[in-house]
Amino acid sequence: MHKVINKSEKAKNAEESFKKKMNRQAILSFGVCVHCGMCTESCHYYLATKDPKMAPAYKADRVRKLYKKYFDWTGRLLPKWVGGDEFNTDDDLTELMDIVYGSCTMCRRCSFNCPMGVDKALLMRTGRAILTEQGIAPQGIIDVSEDQWKIGNQMGISTDDFLETIEWLNDELKTELDDPSAEIPIDKPNCNIIYAVNPREIKYAPMSLLAIAKIFHVANESWTMASKGWDNTNFGLFSGDNKLGAYMGNLVYDSVERLNGNMLVTSECGHGYRATAWESPNWAARDLNFRIYNVLEIITDYVKSGRIKLDKSLNQFKVTYHDPCNLGRSGGITEEPRYLINRSVSDYREMYPNRADNFCCTGGGGAMSMGEYSKRRLETAIVKADQLRATGADIVATACHNCVDGLTDLIKFYKLKMKVSLVGELVADALVYQKMYKVPEIKPEEITQYKVLVIDDEPDVIMYLTALLEDNGYKTISAATNEEALTQLDKEHPDLITLDLIMPGKSGLTFYHTLRTNAQYKGIPVVIVSGVNPENPGQYDSRSFIYQHSLPRPEGYIEKPVNKELLLMTIEKILELKNK
Amino acid sequence: MAVFTHGNISIEIDEDGFIEDPSTWNEDVAKALATTEDVFELTPNHWKVIHYLRDYFAKYGIAPMIRQLCKETGFPLKEIYELFPSGPAKGACKVAGLAKPTGCV
Repeated sequence: MHKVINKSEKAKNAEESFKKKMNRQAILSFGVCVHCGMCTESCHYYLATKDPKMAPAYKADRVRKLYKKYFDWTGRLLPKWVGGDEFNTDDDLTELMDIVYGSCTMCRRCSFNCPMGVDKALLMRTGRAILTEQGIAPQGIIDVSEDQWKIGNQMGISTDDFLETIEWLNDELKTELDDPSAEIPIDKPNCNIIYAVNPREIKYAPMSLLAIAKIFHVANESWTMASKGWDNTNFGLFSGDNKLGAYMGNLVYDSVERLNGNMLVTSECGHGYRATAWESPNWAARDLNFRIYNVLEIITDYVKSGRIKLDKSLNQFKVTYHDPCNLGRSGGITEEPRYLINRSVSDYREMYPNRADNFCCTGGGGAMSMGEYSKRRLETAIVKADQLRATGADIVATACHNCVDGLTDLIKFYKLKMKVSLVGELVADALVYQKMYKVPEIKPEEITQYKVLVIDDEPDVIMYLTALLEDNGYKTISAATNEEALTQLDKEHPDLITLDLIMPGKSGLTFYHTLRTNAQYKGIPVVIVSGVNPENPGQYDSRSFIYQHSLPRPEGYIEKPVNKELLLMTIEKILELKNK
Repeated sequence: MAVFTHGNISIEIDEDGFIEDPSTWNEDVAKALATTEDVFELTPNHWKVIHYLRDYFAKYGIAPMIRQLCKETGFPLKEIYELFPSGPAKGACKVAGLAKPTGCV
């Protein structure tokens, strides 16, 4: 006889939601587990506690029971026979939350050790997803997701705050590089790289963004950040909410398309890279016409191609590397960070196990946002602490902001003598660079002010040219006729002349002849600034005139309407050469 | 929920060591919490940071941006980290009796 139970509304909805989520990948993972126990020894929750309830297969069964009850062919008839069960009460859901959030960081180490290929993190995420739809999640996950939905980034940073922070960082960057041209560009179109970051870098810990900006600058990269869609993190990955996953992915992808960037690059944020590069395109059902890289891949290319140079003697430390789960195990980026650290520090030492087999920092899967499970998190971190301690390193480098906080917490808890650093920060500190541009330090009395004689018959042009030149540090004198010009030449001894060819009376060309044949004037450089007489375009053919009269060529030739940048550059170059 | 005891100070803290009830904060509590952050003496510079954080939190209910903290206290980024080795989010905010910041921290 069936026991009649009034299911709670949430339990009923959670089961319905579960049924809708069954796809090929999920059914494979739910269906094929043979409970062989290979995963047990791979999980840090189990290793630290030796509690069988912490074994991945056991935890996965808390979600799998629904599959057994509603999908397994035996289970549909005899659910208890195969471990099938239902959710009946809200308490059942709270218990599930404690498992899928509180005892799993979705690090996927068990998935890699499963001979059947069961992705238990996917099962955990499915469990999280059906809870999220009922509004059940740790408060921290709910709060952060809300900030991503409402404000577009996980720390609720307004656009003004973002822009002001970048401005502030630009000052730091210029000072640090001693280069006034160094900056973090914002909304610059047509760049090679659109760079997205973890909001932690904007709100609390901007050293990593400064480090990357420094590297980009020295590599002379064409890059920008976007004022909208700059957060590469994605709490949809943690909460199982594919809609949020798609929303956050789209914000970043839109920024690349809007600014016509060549590629999207994510910062040192493990889950951000995984979500942005591998998950969000599916959640958003979006074809992308650009590639997505992690910043460490880009920097590795700089070093390999000689675009930047590193000096490892600048970082005299014993350094080990912690592979972030989402970057190493799930993203395949394991060699680039090692390549970079090896070239940035004097003593690199491996941590064991490593790469795809590394243990989680214990803060993954959003665990840093779930204070309610911190005690358990730190207790299980003993596995990681032992692993760190065995390296004897002073610094553990990693490539994920979340790992930085996870590791920092456990280092403090287990009283290890170790600091945590991001890889980019070590690389930036090892960077060998020449100052690309330096404002020359000129003492006031050494400033020479060049004098330019502007010859033109139109007062408007004289006014325009003299104002432009004076604004750029020149002294000016002017003349509207050839006679006036000769007087000025004798009286003022200019360093350079700008000459209009279309002049009343004697033409500018005749005057040019005078200048070039007079011993007193012929050393003065001349920039011809002239237009074409619309009524007689061939009238002032300066080229054939100069050729016919065997005159030296003018030092510069600018056509009207005047391109002011070109004029200033021409004058600057001529005077530089003359005074060399 | 745990109780943190140091000398004759006894307060309730959350699992991350942040104060449960901000109204139970006072300067002696700050001194006690500082010991958990490897800060053994609170100098006038520490207090400047702590008071700014508290004023901002009282007004807006969240922690300020690092930019505002640096600008308003006049301390460069590096000095904030020298004062509170765990950084502004976990170190300084904890001693100042703010709630634990949300997100990847």
